[in-house]
Amino acid sequence: MTNQLLKSEARTAYLCLLPSIIGLVVLTYIPLAAVFGLSLFRWEGVGVPQWVGLKNYVRLFSRDPYFKDAICATVYFAFLSVVGSMVYSLFVALLLNRQIPARGFFRALFYLPYVLPAMAVYIGWSWLYETNFGLFNYLLSLVGIKKVMFIGSSKMVIPSLALITVWLSGNLIVIFLAGFQNVPRIYMEAAETDGANAWQRFWRITIPCMTPIIFYNLLMSLITNLQVVTPALALTNGGPGNSSCFLSYLMYVYAFRNGKLSYACAIAFVSFLLIGVFTLVLFATSKTWMFSAGGDD
Amino acid sequence: MARNLKSKKRQERIANHVTLVVLMVLSAIVMLPIWWIFRSSLMSNGELFEWPPTFLPKRWLFSNYKKTLEFYPFWKYLKNTMTIILPAVLGGTITATMGGYAFARLRFPGKKFLFSLCIGSMLLPTMVTLIPLYIMWTRGLNLVDSYLPLILPYFCGGGAFNIFLIRQFISTIPRELDEAATIDGAGHFRILVSIIMPAIKSAMIVVALLLFIQMWNDLLQQIIYINSDSKFTIAIGLSQFKGSLKSDWSAIMCATCMSFVPGVVFYLLGQKYFVEGIVMTGMKN
Repeated sequence: MTNQLLKSEARTAYLCLLPSIIGLVVLTYIPLAAVFGLSLFRWEGVGVPQWVGLKNYVRLFSRDPYFKDAICATVYFAFLSVVGSMVYSLFVALLLNRQIPARGFFRALFYLPYVLPAMAVYIGWSWLYETNFGLFNYLLSLVGIKKVMFIGSSKMVIPSLALITVWLSGNLIVIFLAGFQNVPRIYMEAAETDGANAWQRFWRITIPCMTPIIFYNLLMSLITNLQVVTPALALTNGGPGNSSCFLSYLMYVYAFRNGKLSYACAIAFVSFLLIGVFTLVLFATSKTWMFSAGGDD
Repeated sequence: MARNLKSKKRQERIANHVTLVVLMVLSAIVMLPIWWIFRSSLMSNGELFEWPPTFLPKRWLFSNYKKTLEFYPFWKYLKNTMTIILPAVLGGTITATMGGYAFARLRFPGKKFLFSLCIGSMLLPTMVTLIPLYIMWTRGLNLVDSYLPLILPYFCGGGAFNIFLIRQFISTIPRELDEAATIDGAGHFRILVSIIMPAIKSAMIVVALLLFIQMWNDLLQQIIYINSDSKFTIAIGLSQFKGSLKSDWSAIMCATCMSFVPGVVFYLLGQKYFVEGIVMTGMKN
């Protein structure tokens, strides 16, 4: 009897999970294998793929004129964006966590940029960054700084794009806020009774309890930003020069503008490895700073 | 002791005032870009290219919008975008709920393995699988210039994060509820539909909103899969529009502002559930 019940339970479970399993297998793990497989061939979308072994990779690392710059641009952008948006969103979440009037209103306000469509955001910001009549150069002129080419100069373009990413990081704020609200009250009260001041409570209780959330946000924003492609698609076309030609954008250009599908697969796989290395490093170091309340669920 | 408590209360009050002021300044800074874009959409081009620029338009030219709509088919683009987004959001929310339910409540062989596959895929960059999927949809299934490659993936679980979110949320609901229903003879599907789903409404709204935003922002895939003008979405349409106008910034800003609206409306509708939804999941790991 119980056996039969369990069987029917399992049947329901598989039925419920069927779409997700199809998604995982057909849309995620098989394509992952395929991207590596395809990168070992030479194929431009027509004809029979030709086996070339690791030649695509050799070419990428030795002769490709854009590849190294693309890696640098991607890592630089990801670094600025991750650090900037982590600091910004943690700070805002901290403020929003206090008992203040109109909290819901402020929360909605800081989240707002995140719900705007990316294309519109970048077009809007390109006007703000406009060299002669844009908002930012106007604000700079008020404090006596000379005009800056934000998007037009290869030195400024990456920091300028990273600033937009920071502005868009409302989702991190919400997750931090959720984390703050899950810090056990009991710890706080106990510390207060023991005479810990607000500063001590923050550093000794809030932050340690928050480390898993910080880790999660750090990991997710790192993965997202290392895949950056939208600003290049929407705003810069990889320029000026190739200073904002991110790895994913380079892949897009090779695959969909030049038709070099298998070569682009090699870039995709390198990008996968790059993100994998960063993820592993983050996981490995997390043991030293992540606080765990003992026992996982 | 009483005095101590009083001064502490005062301290707290001062801290809250300071917080409020800092928040007001910060939110003004955060809103400034949106205001600037909006104010630009109400100016004439002559006024836009004046120095120094002003924060308020001299005259609020709402007629700019009417003029822009004459050569920018916003409604068509909106309709196209919604044709993709609505079914995808629906499919993603439902399949994520089903998956989350199975992981949270049901016992079956291979559960741990499947769950780690699922969480593992969260770490997997979507860019990596782009080309094989493109080949599969356009060569394998011959879906060229079609919305289906953009919609169908969302019927396959709606993403690992969303499944995880639903699972966490369901685990906060007391099991006694399901057990009572089981005794009354309800099957697992009945429990899911008539007990679990009403109880996790806010989590489902969060998932729907997250999916909406995700698709809204997915410029790359839209560019790859959609070719013909008549099928353009807001994102592609906007970039075409900007490319064709170059320096008519007033019209470009009108088009930009218009495309802000649907996301904001959708967000404001679901806002109430949003943070509470994420808080409830307990996002602990």
